[in-house]
Amino acid sequence: MLQRMSPASRIVSYLLLVIAGAVTVLPLIYMLSLALQTEAETLSADPVLWPESMQFGNFQELFKRAPFGNFILNSLIVAGGITIAHLVFDPLVGYVFAKYQFPLKNTIFLFLLATLMVPLFVRMIPLYTMMSNMGWINTHQGLIAPFLMDAFGIFLMRQFIQPIPDDLIQAARIDGASELRIYWKVILPQVKPAMAVLGLFTFVFQWNEFLWPLVATTTEEMRTIPVGLTLFNQEYFTLWHLTAAGSVILFLPTAVLFLLTQRYFVRGITLSGIK
Amino acid sequence: MSRRYALTAYLFLLPAFAFFGLMYYTPIVNIIANSFRTGPRADTFTGLDNFTRVLSDQAVHNSFVITLIFGAGTTIGAIVIGLALALLVDKPLHGRVVFRAALLVPYLTSVAIVGLLWRNILDPQLGILNRVLDSAGLPTQAWLNTNPLATIIGVTLWMNVGYTMVLFLAGLQGIPDVYHEAATIDGANGRQRFWRITLPLLAPTTLFVSVMSVISGLQAFAQAYIITGGGPADRTDLYIFHVFNVAFSARDFGYASALSFLLLLVIIAFTVVQLRIGRRGEVQY
Repeated sequence: MLQRMSPASRIVSYLLLVIAGAVTVLPLIYMLSLALQTEAETLSADPVLWPESMQFGNFQELFKRAPFGNFILNSLIVAGGITIAHLVFDPLVGYVFAKYQFPLKNTIFLFLLATLMVPLFVRMIPLYTMMSNMGWINTHQGLIAPFLMDAFGIFLMRQFIQPIPDDLIQAARIDGASELRIYWKVILPQVKPAMAVLGLFTFVFQWNEFLWPLVATTTEEMRTIPVGLTLFNQEYFTLWHLTAAGSVILFLPTAVLFLLTQRYFVRGITLSGIK
Repeated sequence: MSRRYALTAYLFLLPAFAFFGLMYYTPIVNIIANSFRTGPRADTFTGLDNFTRVLSDQAVHNSFVITLIFGAGTTIGAIVIGLALALLVDKPLHGRVVFRAALLVPYLTSVAIVGLLWRNILDPQLGILNRVLDSAGLPTQAWLNTNPLATIIGVTLWMNVGYTMVLFLAGLQGIPDVYHEAATIDGANGRQRFWRITLPLLAPTTLFVSVMSVISGLQAFAQAYIITGGGPADRTDLYIFHVFNVAFSARDFGYASALSFLLLLVIIAFTVVQLRIGRRGEVQY
């Protein structure tokens, strides 16, 4: 702390923060309010700030109107599957680039990092054609396959594995440990916090993903929550109380994860800045 | 480590070779190849037809200009507001951790939530925003009809400024206190310290934020798909939304591929230029 703030600048700072915080948080609280309103209240020409009586039945109603159970299951399978794949592959590949010497290492690493410059929209149409040819459109594997690893996760794990002393690995080799065992028993336990950040971010990011599940699903039953909810809203466009209820369900896991592991979130975002 | 283990390394890399080969490099090759083809399955070679068609396609020109404005608006907003918020939550105030969390929350929601929620809030008949503005004595308007592009830029900033705030905060915390202390002893006031110390030393963060923000701004999709449907009168026809419709409504995969490929080139060009400018602006004390 450099210097004490004057009372005036303290008050102004608080005022600005309260306004900014209200702008970011109040719309989400209003979403919760909408989720608990009656349909009539959501359609009122004089919008209702908070419902007369809380309509928890909206959540049941949502499951009756749309295959929302399927949406949740699909989201869990897809986001969960991709997260597991990242945790299996990203550290392994990161380890190879951190600790092994082999011909063409730098060239291969460059080709890997180059994929960071390839946004999803470039892959979208060719992947769609490829998945169609394989019969993977509208399947879980089709939703998962394009995201099994990513260069950033690999890069991140490499950064965390590099400082581990080579002597540890050599000692394990002298003791006769296999290469896979060294990775499993020596390397992985040292990078658990980094893997927690990686897993958390991958899950939240994929849980929220919109474009690919929109492109790669064709039936209502295969949609993930973000896509299911959006198309539900378009098909029954007046049902704002149910749309809001679905939004609350979609946001709930992220909100809980964020409350429990706030420091990891901030750390993860900061890490994304040190490329 | 010796090269004895090179074989193991390649073995460990096999899944990565398969994945990046199939899911990244094959699509890149395909999208370039498809750019020169036409037909519903993009299987007929047409030479440069797709590219000459772009030159006279008014809808694409319109969409491109809109997307540039959107990218510029979201980038400038993300830098200015994100930095302002970072400076605020960096101050020695009670509860700043709570404020940081509150400002970050929208970034963690799905773009589906952001889109649907704001479509409701901004609705001229049902929306709460006009009622709140009205009761505060402020002018109301039919946001998505009167200023659609500015409105979806605002919604995008609502979602993203918490993210840039966290990045700028990390940048601020990386500036050693001694610079500010020395400047204060030399008699520099707060404003001078901001322009002469904070801002120049934040240059790497600002560069990173602007590169990331331009990249994500130019490929924004859901804002148009969910909130505006590209309208009214194509005034929010964001580029990738346009490409999406060419591909999946008009089923013109060849043309859509050419359009995607062109945007990729534009994004790469923007990134290179920004990095060049950023390098030149780097300072060291």
